[in-house]
Amino acid sequence: MTDNWVRRLNPKTKLLMIPVFGIATIVSPGMLLGLFLLLVVIVMAWQANIIKKFLQTMISFGIPIAVMLFIIQGLYSPQNHTYVANLGFAKLGLEGLMYGGKLLVTLLVFMGSFYLFNKTIYSGELAAALIKSSLSDKGGYLILASLNVVPQMKRQLQVIKEAQEARGVQTGGSLLTRIKVFIPLMGPVILSSLIDTQERGMALELRGFDLKNVSKTSYIQVVDTKLDKLFRIGMLLFLIIVTAFSIYLKVRR
Amino acid sequence: MKVSSKDVISVNNFSFSYPQTKKPAISSMNFTVKEGEFFCIVGANGAGKSTLCDSLVGLIPQYFLGTTKGQVLVNGQETTKQTVAELSLEIGLVFQNPFNQLSYTTSTVAEELAYGLGNHGIPRSEMLDRVAAVAKKMRIESLLDRDPLTLSGGQIQRVAFGSTYILNPSILVLDECTTQLDPIGSEEIFTIIKQLNDEGVTVVMTDTETERLSMYADRILLLDNGLQMGVDKPQAIFAREDLEKLNISTPLNYQLTQELTKIGILDSPEFNQDIILEKIKEVENGYR
Amino acid sequence: MKRQGRRVNSGSLISTKVLVLIPIAVGINLLGGTLCSTLKLPLFLDMIGTILVACLSGPWMAGLCGLLTNLFLSVVANPIYLPYAFVSFLCGVVTGYLVKMGLFKSKLGVVIIWLTCSLVNTIAASLITVYVYGGASGVNSTSLATIALLATTKKIFLSVMSTAMIENLLDKAIVFIIAYTIINKIPSHFLNQYSPNLRSDR
Repeated sequence: MTDNWVRRLNPKTKLLMIPVFGIATIVSPGMLLGLFLLLVVIVMAWQANIIKKFLQTMISFGIPIAVMLFIIQGLYSPQNHTYVANLGFAKLGLEGLMYGGKLLVTLLVFMGSFYLFNKTIYSGELAAALIKSSLSDKGGYLILASLNVVPQMKRQLQVIKEAQEARGVQTGGSLLTRIKVFIPLMGPVILSSLIDTQERGMALELRGFDLKNVSKTSYIQVVDTKLDKLFRIGMLLFLIIVTAFSIYLKVRR
Repeated sequence: MKVSSKDVISVNNFSFSYPQTKKPAISSMNFTVKEGEFFCIVGANGAGKSTLCDSLVGLIPQYFLGTTKGQVLVNGQETTKQTVAELSLEIGLVFQNPFNQLSYTTSTVAEELAYGLGNHGIPRSEMLDRVAAVAKKMRIESLLDRDPLTLSGGQIQRVAFGSTYILNPSILVLDECTTQLDPIGSEEIFTIIKQLNDEGVTVVMTDTETERLSMYADRILLLDNGLQMGVDKPQAIFAREDLEKLNISTPLNYQLTQELTKIGILDSPEFNQDIILEKIKEVENGYR
Repeated sequence: MKRQGRRVNSGSLISTKVLVLIPIAVGINLLGGTLCSTLKLPLFLDMIGTILVACLSGPWMAGLCGLLTNLFLSVVANPIYLPYAFVSFLCGVVTGYLVKMGLFKSKLGVVIIWLTCSLVNTIAASLITVYVYGGASGVNSTSLATIALLATTKKIFLSVMSTAMIENLLDKAIVFIIAYTIINKIPSHFLNQYSPNLRSDR
């Protein structure tokens, strides 16, 4: 991972960005603010040197949804009263289009900031940040252990799959044969990993996982700069202002 | 004298049954372990070795549900009086499957080693020192920056061992900790255990394979079907007639030493290789 | 030396034994999901772990398991899954409560859980599809079926729901068969460490 200011931001700061940006987009009238926030996320992705993959993901996620929203909301929304075009088999409604557009922007803001968070943090750092923050270390455990468990289970699965193939079991074929292959493939992995949890719990207990009334420490140092704190306070203020302003606009109307 | 007369573990008439089972997993256990001793527990699969080990470190009855009778004392205090985590500062446990001993929350070996210290609130500066020291002892200095999940079984087991030992326990319980390793991996672990024992750490070790245990053990506890069949020096244990019936193999070196005793090279069965070699050399020199 | 960190609240609600189950169950769910896509099955099969947790540690842990599963699915596979986290949460909780009532003891009970779970899943997922994604969450066979129905019935929610229901019934059937088989294969020394209400012989 290359070093840059986005990468160096505290994980908590980037985590907070997701709900703040997302909610601000939802509460604000129209989609202008959402588009602006999307631009901010794109600039950050560019600064973090992940712009190419970021755009690829956003486009592969956004286009199908945009098409679907266009058809479902634009053509069939019950809210449609103002029609902008007649396609013959159905009429294109302005209300549905606006609603679909807002929805698309909101989704892109959520997904974009989520993707940015996901790709610019280092998991150990997140654990350390969570342990230090008000979120309990058990929550940190759940997140990190789930992330780490999957690759190991995949390896186990691969071993079994190879063994099955060596015994001549086909992994291709018709739907029914594929389902039939699925069960003996999953069964042993599930059972053994379930039983393994007992020992994993033992190991955690032995290493003081459940200790109470101790200020836990971490090997990894997480930098929480003044800039981070400023960013977080700024984002919260921003959200409050946007919400207040949107309510004011609604009430006045 | 390496072994002192002080009892660090005493098990008094201890029994344990898992829930919904009629037969106790272990019953009427009575023995003591002395400070600095290399104490081995030998028994076939299902004899109750792991249950006994879990009882010594307090996981039974604190982590596993079930009913207990009697008591287990570690350094004079009952195991139920402290949490498992507090006890782990006095008595550590390493068990069979290396993968199950990782915390799954760290991305480097160094973090993994430091995990227990973090939970105990040890300041970071001290953490760094202790990680370095333990890494050296476990011979994993070159692996500190690696992701634990990318290591071999033997390497992970040394990381797990280090994660236990980093809490500075004076007693180590090793429950078949080399069974799943290849010969090289298991040899490396044994070397480390021997070294720690020489430095004064009390070792309680179980294994199904008696060959190596017989060389290191000061005393052996023989376990069968949840019952304590006897505690004695290895010479006496392996001289028992009922071993085959209990599904325990007589170690090859015991058979060897028995033959040497028969032909008068040794005075009595002996497991210390150095002593055996010396005696053989004496005889050899005598012939010349 | 100043100690770093914070004071941890005493008295935890979740025991370690229960906690360690969750990442594994999430792993089982994700594995089911990924295996489905590698075997090109038109299903999800991402609820096996959740059912197992529902059986072993109750409704709320199962809900948490479902929630986390979708969180990770959206990280490793496609962010589209994120809003459906609520659906997985709900299904976990519902399954957990039905198991608690003793319905997992008999095959008939499992059938009832299966039908209830499919229904809950369908309604909740359809609500998400309609209100979050405005009708369809991507181009796939389900969405196309939705549009076809929509063109004839002109009712968004109904169209989304009927396609989801068929898909769900099949998916959940397989998932419950697997989970039921596994629960009955778990050694009792493991099962007894939890307080399940699963086997009729007690």
